[in-house]
Order: sequence, then C-alpha cells, then structure tokens
Amino acid sequence: MSRVLRWRGHAWLAAPVRWYLGGLFLLACWHKIADPGAFALDVATYDLLPLVLVNLMALVLPWVELAAALLLLAGLRVRPAALLVSAMMVMFLLALATALARGLDMSCGCFAAQGADQDPISAATLVRDLVWLGLSLYVVAFDRSLLGLDRLLAARTKARAAEGG
Amino acid sequence: MSRALPQPLGAAGREALLIAVGCAVLAVLVNAVHPRGIPLVAERAYEVLVPCPEPGGEASPVEPGDPLLEAETTFVVDARSRVEAESWRFRDALNIPYDYLDPTPDEVLEDLAQSLARSRARQVVVYGDGDDPDSGQQLAREIAGRGIKNVGFVRGGAPALERQAAQGSQRP
Repeated sequence: MSRVLRWRGHAWLAAPVRWYLGGLFLLACWHKIADPGAFALDVATYDLLPLVLVNLMALVLPWVELAAALLLLAGLRVRPAALLVSAMMVMFLLALATALARGLDMSCGCFAAQGADQDPISAATLVRDLVWLGLSLYVVAFDRSLLGLDRLLAARTKARAAEGG
Repeated sequence: MSRALPQPLGAAGREALLIAVGCAVLAVLVNAVHPRGIPLVAERAYEVLVPCPEPGGEASPVEPGDPLLEAETTFVVDARSRVEAESWRFRDALNIPYDYLDPTPDEVLEDLAQSLARSRARQVVVYGDGDDPDSGQQLAREIAGRGIKNVGFVRGGAPALERQAAQGSQRP
C-alpha cells in the first residue's frame, strides 16, 4: 500500500486531473456568474438554506468556483484550491443526496440553469460528484504542481536564496 | 511566497479560507455593478415549483351496481366536500374531502386506518364527484399509496351511485 502511495507517477497523474477539475469548474461557474438570479433560484430549489442565505450563496459560490478553477489550471496554490473544490463537492453531494432522499424532481443546476427534464438529478449525478470528490482529494494528496506556477515560484525563490547565501 | 511542495494541509486550509473570503468580497463588489445583480438578501421567497412524488398506489375501479358496495366487509369513503356529503351520501360513508392542492393529512389517514381496523373491513371503496379527474379515484390512489390495501373507487362517482340508487328504488 505504501509503495502505491509513494509511486512517483502520482505527481504526473495529478497534473491532468488538476487541469480537468479546473476546466470543469470554469465551465460550471460561467452561467452562475452571468446570471446570478437564475442560480439563486437553483439554490432556493434545493430548499436547504434559509432565505437570508440563498442570494449570498448564489453570489459567492460561483466566484469561489472561478478562483479554484483558475488556480488549479495555473498550478498556483494548488492545495488550497483543491481543498476548496473538495469542500464544494462535499457540499454539492449533501445537497444532492438530500434532494434525492426527498424525491425532488429537479434540475441539478450544476452547469446551466435548465429544467428538471433536461438536467434531472439522479443517482448517476451523485456518483459523478463522488468521482469528482475523489479526484479533488487525489490532487490534494498527490499534486506537486508539475507544470505549474507553484513549482516555478518555489524554484525561483530557492535560486534567490542560493544566490544570497 | 516561498514554501515547500506540497504545502502543509493546515496552511493550505487556512489559505483556502482566505481565498473564499476574498471571493466573497469580490462577488459582492461585482454584484453591485452587475447589470443582472441581485439583492444580497432575497426580499421574498422564491417561487419554487418542484413536483413532489405523489404517493399514488393502485386503485381498482368498481362499478356502481357492484354487490361489493353493499357488502359488510366494504368500507365506503366519500371524497366529496363536506356540504355535498351532508346533502347525500352512500350508506354510512366516511367523509374525507379530497383537496387537489393539499395532500390528505396524515392524521386523517391514520383515523381511517383505525376505523378500518375497528370495522374489520376487507376493502375500501371511495367515491367522489365523478368528474374528470374524479376526486374519488384521486383519493383512492392516495390512500392506496399510503399503505392501505384493497382500495377501489366507484366509476362515475356519487352521480353514478345516485342514479343506481334511483333505479333500484323504481324496481318493483
């Protein structure tokens, strides 16, 4: 098991996973930022938050998604960004599971404001989100910012320190 | 900016929180100038229309002249309004007015289940207004969906039963 965890290939595998998640969240946040009213309705449809928090959640969440997406794509602050994605995925999973348990026939609201008939929530949506949660945790655990700004900045700082020393 | 890769989890968590707070501030600022911006707190509840699953079960049709309706083992329910039920009702039917917008309260169905147990009835037959849709059929489906077995509805509802009763009284 520890040999599997220590495998050097993880760092290389984590990079495309990070880009995939970055692209995914960039795609997901777009319509929510463009039309916060429609997304607020999606949030309200889940019927989980008190009314005072619905709009605030609808406003802030897409920007967190955008920030996490850009950071993952750039390979900057990868661990915090992947942690944010993981936290969001846990939140989405809880909301979805609750909606499914209550038998709500509604749209996921994940990628575009669609009707329940076009983008219905189902057990498949839950499995999909679980996979994405797994991927984000994989990035948290194994990403070493290969081909990313974190590594570039760390190398530059190291070189400066060496020059100074 | 310099840090070891990977960043320690605790520090990453704190940084994630900072990013989220920064995003919240940015979101509020952008919303203030967004052409489709929304109030930070919704002024009134969203009109969310999510169809909840109807707990509809199977209810079989019963013809108005079916001897089953007269059987001692049949419990009859009137799904029409209280006023209609008071003007005429079949046998000593229990009146449970059916509302198309509100599901029948649990306590009403619990009372029905207790009445059924007391009466030792083996089947429930519901009659309604006989319209399309028929309130009797709807209530029968709702009752069946809540776990009560052997539920039927009178085809044609109360008008059909009244006609049947009138025909019966005219027979020599």
